[in-house]
Amino acid sequence: MIFRTPLEGIEHPEMEADVVIVGGGPAGMACALRLSQLIDAHNAEHPDAPLSKENIYVLEKGREIGQHCLSGALLDPRSMNELLPDWKKEAPIEAEVESDSVYFLTKKSAFKAPITPPPMQDHGNYVISINRFTKWLGSKIEETGITIFSGFAGSELLFEDGRVAGVRTDDKGVDKTNQPKGNFEPGYDLKSKITILAEGSRGSLTKQLAGTLNLFKDRNPMTYGVGVKELWEVPAGRIKPGEVIYTMGYPLTTKEYGGAWIYGGKENTVSLGFVTGLDYPDPRTDPQHVLQSFKQHPFVAKLLDGGKMVRYGAKTMPYGGWWSMPPLGGNGWMIVGDSAGFLNSQRLKGIHLAIKSGMLAAETAFEAWMSGDSSAKQLGTFQKKVEDSWIREELYPVRNFHQGFEHGFLSGMLNTGLLMATGGYGIRDRYPAHAGHERMLPVWDLMGHPGGRSQLLGWSKGDGKLTFDKLTDLYHSGTRHEEDQPAHLIIKDTDICSNRCAKEYGNPCQFFCPANVYEMEDCPGEAGKKRIHLNPSNCVHCKTCDIMDPYQIITWVPPEGGGGPSYDGM
Amino acid sequence: MKILVCMKQVPQKDAPLKLNESATWIREDVGYEVNEPDAYALEEALRQKEKNGGEVVVITAGPARAQQVLREALAKGADRAIHLEDDRFTTLDAFNVARAVAEAIKDESFDLIFTGLQSDDFGYAQTGVLLAQLLGWAHATIIMHLETKDGGIRVKRELESGFFQYVDMPVPSVLTIQSGINKLRYATLIGIKQAKNKPLRKVSFDEVSGALKPNQLAIEKLYIPQKTKKTEVIQGSPQEVAKKLVAKLRDELRVL
Amino acid sequence: MAETILVLVEQREGKLNRVSFETLAGAQALAKQAGWTVEAAVVGNNIASVAAEIAKTAVAKVYAIEDKALEQYTPDGFVAALKAFIEGRKPKLVLLPHTYQVRDFAPKLAASLGAVLVSDAVGYKYEGGKLLFTRQMFQGKFAADVSLAGEGPWFASFQTGAFRGDQVEGGEAAVEQVSAATGEIRTKPEAPFQEAKQAVDLSQATIIVSVGRGIKEQKNIEIAKALADALGGEIAASRPICDAGWLPMERQVGSSGQTVSPKLYLALGISGAIQHIVGMKGSRNIIAINKDSEAPIFEIADVAVVGNLFEIVPALTEEVKKVRV
Repeated sequence: MIFRTPLEGIEHPEMEADVVIVGGGPAGMACALRLSQLIDAHNAEHPDAPLSKENIYVLEKGREIGQHCLSGALLDPRSMNELLPDWKKEAPIEAEVESDSVYFLTKKSAFKAPITPPPMQDHGNYVISINRFTKWLGSKIEETGITIFSGFAGSELLFEDGRVAGVRTDDKGVDKTNQPKGNFEPGYDLKSKITILAEGSRGSLTKQLAGTLNLFKDRNPMTYGVGVKELWEVPAGRIKPGEVIYTMGYPLTTKEYGGAWIYGGKENTVSLGFVTGLDYPDPRTDPQHVLQSFKQHPFVAKLLDGGKMVRYGAKTMPYGGWWSMPPLGGNGWMIVGDSAGFLNSQRLKGIHLAIKSGMLAAETAFEAWMSGDSSAKQLGTFQKKVEDSWIREELYPVRNFHQGFEHGFLSGMLNTGLLMATGGYGIRDRYPAHAGHERMLPVWDLMGHPGGRSQLLGWSKGDGKLTFDKLTDLYHSGTRHEEDQPAHLIIKDTDICSNRCAKEYGNPCQFFCPANVYEMEDCPGEAGKKRIHLNPSNCVHCKTCDIMDPYQIITWVPPEGGGGPSYDGM
Repeated sequence: MKILVCMKQVPQKDAPLKLNESATWIREDVGYEVNEPDAYALEEALRQKEKNGGEVVVITAGPARAQQVLREALAKGADRAIHLEDDRFTTLDAFNVARAVAEAIKDESFDLIFTGLQSDDFGYAQTGVLLAQLLGWAHATIIMHLETKDGGIRVKRELESGFFQYVDMPVPSVLTIQSGINKLRYATLIGIKQAKNKPLRKVSFDEVSGALKPNQLAIEKLYIPQKTKKTEVIQGSPQEVAKKLVAKLRDELRVL
Repeated sequence: MAETILVLVEQREGKLNRVSFETLAGAQALAKQAGWTVEAAVVGNNIASVAAEIAKTAVAKVYAIEDKALEQYTPDGFVAALKAFIEGRKPKLVLLPHTYQVRDFAPKLAASLGAVLVSDAVGYKYEGGKLLFTRQMFQGKFAADVSLAGEGPWFASFQTGAFRGDQVEGGEAAVEQVSAATGEIRTKPEAPFQEAKQAVDLSQATIIVSVGRGIKEQKNIEIAKALADALGGEIAASRPICDAGWLPMERQVGSSGQTVSPKLYLALGISGAIQHIVGMKGSRNIIAINKDSEAPIFEIADVAVVGNLFEIVPALTEEVKKVRV
C-alpha cells in the first residue's frame, strides 16, 4: 500500500500572500469577511493609500464552500449579529427555535426532563444547515474580492527561521503509486506573512504545528466526540420546524459519553444525529451502529416511520474545553474555530464561537498587517483578545465540563452539578483529562465490564428502511474522490495492524470509521493472518481515525483537493 | 485557430434529485458541476491552442450559477467567456439553445466549435449538430481525435462495436467530442487568479430572444421510472438450473 | 387519409443493420394503435437486397433512395437525400434507430425541415389521440414523457432494445426505387476500421457477466470469463474485485465506475450494495446467482438463483455452448 507522501525533486511555484486562511468553514469565512470589512473601513478613511485584498486567500479542500460542512446545527446569533447585523434577512435559516426538551432514554422508554437545563435552552437560537449557511457566507466573500481557492487543500505548513512562512497546497495528478500523472500539477507554496488555520476539528496542519512547536505541552490533551448524522424527510406533522430535542442514555451505557440531537427543519426535514464520545472503552464500539440503534428506540422510530433518509455524514468535534486549547497565536500563525477547540461542550455549540474567533483573528491580522509585524508578540495579542471577549466569559465556566465525565455518566452528572454551583471551579480549577484513545480497553480487559452493549458493537445490519448498514449510509454522503491517487490515511507501520492490534484491540478502525475506509482482509497464503485494506475514496474527512487509533499511528492528510463528501443540506 | 467551446452546467452526479411541484423538472437546490463531456471538449480545445496557437472562447446558457463553469474554464486557460445569463435559458429546447448560441456569436468568426457529445442531464446529443445546421457548417460527432492539416482538419469518429473512421473536413466545422479522449488538466492557483481579469461578456435573454422560436419539444411529465419487477426464482440442481436458464435466455430474453 | 409513419432503416456497406427491425416493430405497434400506415426507406447505393429484406415485413411500401454519392455515409449526403424525399412524401412521423450514424445526421435532418427530433426514446405513449415519447433523463434516474409541437413531420429515434426486433410482423411490400437528391458533400470519410480495443466500453455491451466478492479468488474469475465468452458478452465486476486488482478498473460497474444498461446483466456472487446497484439497475434483464438468499441483489433481479455459483456457472456455460454452436 502506497501512502501520500511529498514528492521529491518537485519545484513548487510560489505565490506571495498577505494573509492565508486555511479552511472555508464558519471560522474561516467569518475571518475573511471581517478582514474585508476592516480593509474597506481603512480604505474609506485613506483613499490615497488603500489596502488591497488581492493577496488574501482562503484555501478550501472541498470543491465548493460548505461542501464538507456538517453539524446539527443550532446557531447562537450572538456573533453573527456583530459580524453582519442584517444577516437574518439574507441568510438561509431552517427555523427559529420554537421549543426545546431533553429526554433520558432507556431501552423502551423516554423520560422528559421537567425543565430543559439552562445551558441547553435554545430560545433565541436558530436551526440552520451549516452547509447552506457557510455556502451563503462564501457568496458574501465572493462579493468582497477576496479569493477563495476551492478544491485546494493545505497539505503542509512552510517554516522559515522558526516561523510559519505559509502553506503548501496539494499536488494534483499523483497516481496510486505516488507518481506524477500526465496532468500533474505541483502544489503552490503560498508564502504568507500571516497564516490562519481554520481547518475544523483535528486539523492536519494544526496537528503538524502542534507537533513541531509542542503546543500542548502545558495543556490538557484535546478530547473529541464523533457526530454521526442523517437528514430525513418525514410525513407532515411529525415535528415542528424549530423543535429541538436532546436525548441522553440509550443506546449508550453508563460507560460511554454522548447523546443525540433531533432538530425540526423546514418542509418536514429532520436533522438527527448521535454524538459518541471518542473515549469509549469497548474497541468494538461503532458510532454508526449507535445511531442506528438510537433510531430503533420507539421514541425515534415513531418520528421517522414512513420517512426517507436523504443524506448521511459524520464529523468529529473537540470537547476538551478551555484547558485543552493550544496557544492561539505565534510567529506568523493563528488558530481559530474547532481547530483550536472553540466549542462549548456543555451547550454543545461552537459555530458562534468559531465565528467570533475568526473575527478576532481578523482584527489581529489586520493590526499585524498595518504594523508590518506578524511575530509571536503581535499575533499573540489574539490570545488576549479572546480572553477579553465574551468567548472567555462563555468557555471558562465550563472548562471542566467534559473532564467531569471521565469516570462515567453518573459521576459526570454529579460533577456537572458541582461545577455549575461553583462557577466551573468544582474541586479544583483545572481538572486533568486523558486522550480518549487511551481509555480504550484491550479485548481481554473487557471481561469485567458490564454487558448490555451489543447495540453499540460491531457493524449494523440495517433493515433498509429505518436503519442502514454502513455502506448504504455512506452512499448517501455523496462522497467522491479521484480514484487514482495514493492513500491519504497514512499508517506508520501496518505490521502493527496485523500483529499487535488484531490481538489487542481487534482492529477497532473497522468499527470507529463511519465510512468503511478500514477493512481487515485475509492475507493470501497465510492462514489465520489478516492485513489492513484501505478504501480511501470512501473517506468523509471526519478525522475519527486520527483521533481514536489506540497506537496513534494513523495520520490523516488531505487527499487531492476537490474530493470528499457532498453535504448538501447538512 | 479560434475555437468556441459550448459548455453546460448540470446537477452533480450523485446529487439527491427531487421533482419540482409541477413534476416537469427537478428542484434546483442541488449542487452543480460541469457536464463531463464538455470538460473533455474544453481540454481538447486548449490542447489545440497549445499546438497551433489561437484563442479559446467558452460559452454557456443558464442562470447565474452557471458562471462557475465559465470561471473554471478560464482558470484552465480559456481566453474569453460568454454567458447567456437568464433562468429562462434552462427552459429552451435544444433547437432554441442552438439558436441562442448562434445569435450570441454572430459577430465572431470561429474556425471550430466544440461541444461535448451529450449532456448528463438531458442526454439529447443534439445541440452541436443543430448549431452546425443553423450556421451552415460541416460537422462530425463523437470525435476521438483531431489533427489540423492544410485547408482543414482530419478527425477520428467513433462508431459502434469498436469501429472507427477518419474523416477529412473543412474549416469551419462543429465537432461533438467524446468523453475520456484525453486527461483533463487541473486549474492552477495562478490560473484562477488570472481568470478574474479575463473578459466575461454577459448576454441577456432579450438580446437573443428575437432569434428564438416557440419550443417544439416539451416535457409533459417527469417521474421516477416504476419498475414492475417480479422476481422469478429458479431452483434445482446445477444442471437443471442451467437448462432452465438457457431456455429462458433463448426463448424469452432472446439473447442466444 | 391515414397518417404515415416512415421508418428509416439503416444499412452499412450493403448490409442491413438489424436494429432497424426494432424500429419497425415499434412503428407497427404505434400504427396499429393510431390507425396509421407504416412505410420504410433505406438510403445508400446498391441497396436492393436491403430493401428486399425490409419488403418482407408488414409495411405499405419500401423506398430505396439511391445515388452513387451515398455509397459512403456522410451527413450532407444523407440529409440532402432524405430532406427532399420527406418533403415529397410528407410523413407525419419519422422513426429511426438511435445508432451512432443516426446521432450524426438525424438532428440536422429534422432541423433542415424546421422540425425537431426526440432522440434516444425508450418507448411511446399514444392516449386520446396524443402521442408522447418516453425518455430517460439524468442517466436513468428519471423518465420524461415528451411531446412534440406542430403538425409534423415529427422525428424520433429509439434506443437499442426499446422494442423487440423479433416481434416485427411479416408481410409483402413493393419496393420503389427513388433517385436521391444530392448536393455538396463537405466531408470526406475513409473506410471504417476496427482497432484493437484500447479501452473497454461496457456501456456498449449487450450482455455483461459481472463478478463480486462471492467469486472468492482471482483464479475463479476464469469461470465467469468462460461464461462471458460463451455468451458473447463482456466481463465486469463490482468494486472490491477491481480494487484488489483482479480485473482492471475500467471493468468496474457502480457509482465510482461505469453505469451500464445492457440487455442482460448476470450478477455472480454480487451482494448488491447500493454503490453497485446504481451502476446497473437500468439493465433490461438481471439474473443474479448468489448463495445468500437475503442478498439485496435479489430485490432488483428478474431471475433469482440461490445457489453455489461454482457449480451453476460451469453448468450454464456448457448448456450455452450447446445452443450457441
